[in-house]
Amino acid sequence: MIPHTARIGGLVLASTAFYAYVGQMVPQKEVLPPTETAIRADLSTTEMATVGREIMEGKGLCMTCHTIGRSGALRFPDLDGIASRASTRVAGMNDVEYFAQSMYAPDSFIVPGFNPGMPAINRAPIGLTDQEILCVMAALQSLGGTPTITLQTSHTYYTAPGAPAGGAAAPPTEPGQKLPLEATNTTPGVAKPPAPPAKKGA
Amino acid sequence: MNSATKRKLLFVLGPVTGVAMFVAVVMIATFLTNREYREPYRAPAAVVDPTPRVQGLEEERAAAEATARATPYVEAEYRQFPIVGSRVAIWAIAQLHLLFAAFVLAVPLFAFIIEAIGYKTGDMRYDRLAHEFTKLLSVSFSLTATFGAFLTFMLIALYPKFTNYLMAVFSPTFLPYVLLFFFEAAFLYTYYYGWGKFHPLVHLGLGLGLNLVGTAIMFIANAWLTFMMSPNGVSDTGAVISVMDAVWNYTWMPINIHRVIANVAFGGSVAAAYAAFKFLQADNDEDRAHYDWMGYIGNFIAILAFLPLPFAGYWLAAEIYAFSQTLGLTMMGGAFSWLFIIQAVLIGNLFLAANYYLWLGMGRIEGGQQLQKFIKYLLIAIALCFMVWATPRSIIATVSEIRAMGGSTHPILGFLGVMSAKNTAVNILILTTFMSFLLYRRTGKEAVVSWAKAGHTAQLVIFGGAAIFVIFLGIYGYFVEAVVRIGLSVPQVLSVLFAMVSITIIDIFLFRGAKKTVIHWGRIPAISQYVLIFIAVTFTWLMGLMGYVRSGLRQHWHVYGIIRDNSVDAFTPTLGFATQVVSWTVLAFFALIGFVFWITSLHDRPDRVAAHAPERLPHGGGAMAVPGVAGPAQGKES
Repeated sequence: MIPHTARIGGLVLASTAFYAYVGQMVPQKEVLPPTETAIRADLSTTEMATVGREIMEGKGLCMTCHTIGRSGALRFPDLDGIASRASTRVAGMNDVEYFAQSMYAPDSFIVPGFNPGMPAINRAPIGLTDQEILCVMAALQSLGGTPTITLQTSHTYYTAPGAPAGGAAAPPTEPGQKLPLEATNTTPGVAKPPAPPAKKGA
Repeated sequence: MNSATKRKLLFVLGPVTGVAMFVAVVMIATFLTNREYREPYRAPAAVVDPTPRVQGLEEERAAAEATARATPYVEAEYRQFPIVGSRVAIWAIAQLHLLFAAFVLAVPLFAFIIEAIGYKTGDMRYDRLAHEFTKLLSVSFSLTATFGAFLTFMLIALYPKFTNYLMAVFSPTFLPYVLLFFFEAAFLYTYYYGWGKFHPLVHLGLGLGLNLVGTAIMFIANAWLTFMMSPNGVSDTGAVISVMDAVWNYTWMPINIHRVIANVAFGGSVAAAYAAFKFLQADNDEDRAHYDWMGYIGNFIAILAFLPLPFAGYWLAAEIYAFSQTLGLTMMGGAFSWLFIIQAVLIGNLFLAANYYLWLGMGRIEGGQQLQKFIKYLLIAIALCFMVWATPRSIIATVSEIRAMGGSTHPILGFLGVMSAKNTAVNILILTTFMSFLLYRRTGKEAVVSWAKAGHTAQLVIFGGAAIFVIFLGIYGYFVEAVVRIGLSVPQVLSVLFAMVSITIIDIFLFRGAKKTVIHWGRIPAISQYVLIFIAVTFTWLMGLMGYVRSGLRQHWHVYGIIRDNSVDAFTPTLGFATQVVSWTVLAFFALIGFVFWITSLHDRPDRVAAHAPERLPHGGGAMAVPGVAGPAQGKES
């Protein structure tokens, strides 16, 4: 006859072990702090779209809420074909200004049928840089359209270096010209390698 | 010796000889190696220091001091805890502190209510029960305070810069906290040691004071931790603008309410586990009956508090979304989405176990068999709801997998993973468990009021109507825009609450003066007591898991969006690792709560002298065994 105390101990141990086992059965993924994507000044628009898509799926966290090519009961607007809709969403606002407003001041305009909820992308906790946001805009322009944005594009919320204040689009600079914020030793779309975290007790 | 025996002997001798030869070779080699010539050790001339030892030590000390003086003070940002690291160390201590704190806050709450029922009804069983619950408090309170102090020292030592920041923001709350803690100790010990020593109303007043002070302490501590998740009242750089706003941040009140309810559910389950422990140890029917009843009451409290908990959880989640959609989606659709599948397993187990206990309990009531035939339908409903709830929405996948799926959701199963399906599942689960309670409540009773048939019909119509309405809204949610769909959870919850309240009210009047059969307390299978212990373990594990998600949601932020975590532990660990930490913490908690149970049970044991006296004093001297007085004298005489 096993004493009750031993049975109780066994039950506590078995229950706890079972739940720990369930924890091992789900997908295992460590989430590292976001890395800064360094952007060269001579990125072409096509390269910007590629970098922008990586930012959307990574540091920007865009795909956590938005979908591309899905319909039905969505929590946030689907981005497929956004390039063609962006210039007509708000009267008097072109696609670049619309994208900029959506990311810098997202509550200014809410797509009908949806609730407010988009955070300001240039502020913490996401905190994309102005150049990263330009790349995201290029990626959005590629969804149903042809990207035209460059790193020298200005808009209401950002004035490119050398461009006149006020948000007018600046002419493209010469390839190879460097922006003040850029790093020089990186390739397009390649994030700086993060410092490997020391994992304790893993 | 025949040939077969010889063969066996040879079969054994072979390996023995082999081992012996191996040992011999090792011994010979060791013998030879030990006699090999070696150069005697001589300290190299270059390192021989002619300085006398005392003088050398003095010079070393002076040099170390000079170096220390020359080094400017730099405030450490982080320090490392050995072996497991700082994060796990803080995690485990904080979790243990919170588990004991939850228990210490919950037990007075329902002890007070039970004592009040006893006072109102004049039934002294309730008074005894409340007193028995309170016995668990004294040791638990000490452990809570010990772990609280440990946690504070660990935070200061391991995360000095961040702790300094929190202290800067919340320093005005510290003095009230300490004063309240002092009052809590005063109330608690007066309440416990003053049992039966005051007028019942005075004693109830002490219990009320204990509860109010304890709740206020929790509210203050909640301000600190909710600020980390949804900071308010500070600038973008963390400068304090308003301490009141920092306290009253987005998630403060939802966490307060959620914790009060969850504490009661958790405390009830642990108290029921204590009763189960005592039931299993009981050696007479009277004790078994008492502890069966105590376990039933503890579990009743736990499940009663557990039923509204998902609603409080929804409110908390809504406030998290209101504060930051990013934070909300990280919780429900991002890295933590699978954690809610684990949560679904736990809550599914809790509902199943709670219902199973109720169904077993029907056996202790005469005439209970006639209602047991409905159990299989309830079981099917629970199982279906469990399956829907355990279906994930978002899947943690690689970039290529997300692209292949066109998003982070599964194209088919994803439909069961959305809130429309989950809200429906949890509401039906709650309704089903409520129905189990109702069946248990009316077991062995026969309504005698003239409108009995109409009453039963009304209850059935309300229950069926609520269930159909909840399911309809769940399906309707798939066909409407997000702005409409999110609002549907409110009528779902309200219809369930309406059903529970209205059916209960009808039930109370329906069974007023009803014919009753006898309840045989204590006549229940022993497995029911293990179910109570399983429920307590599951509640504890659930609290550990949800504590992790609340804290882990911040990911690489100490204070979300304001103070970034730059330590080596800034990454979010795998769920597997997190569940291991939770499991070890739960085991540590149960080891300690076992200690609490043991110490509490010492109170009921006979004194050593009294227990042994009759053996040593065969002529009736044992009757004089008064603890601490007659005992030693008798010992001498014997």
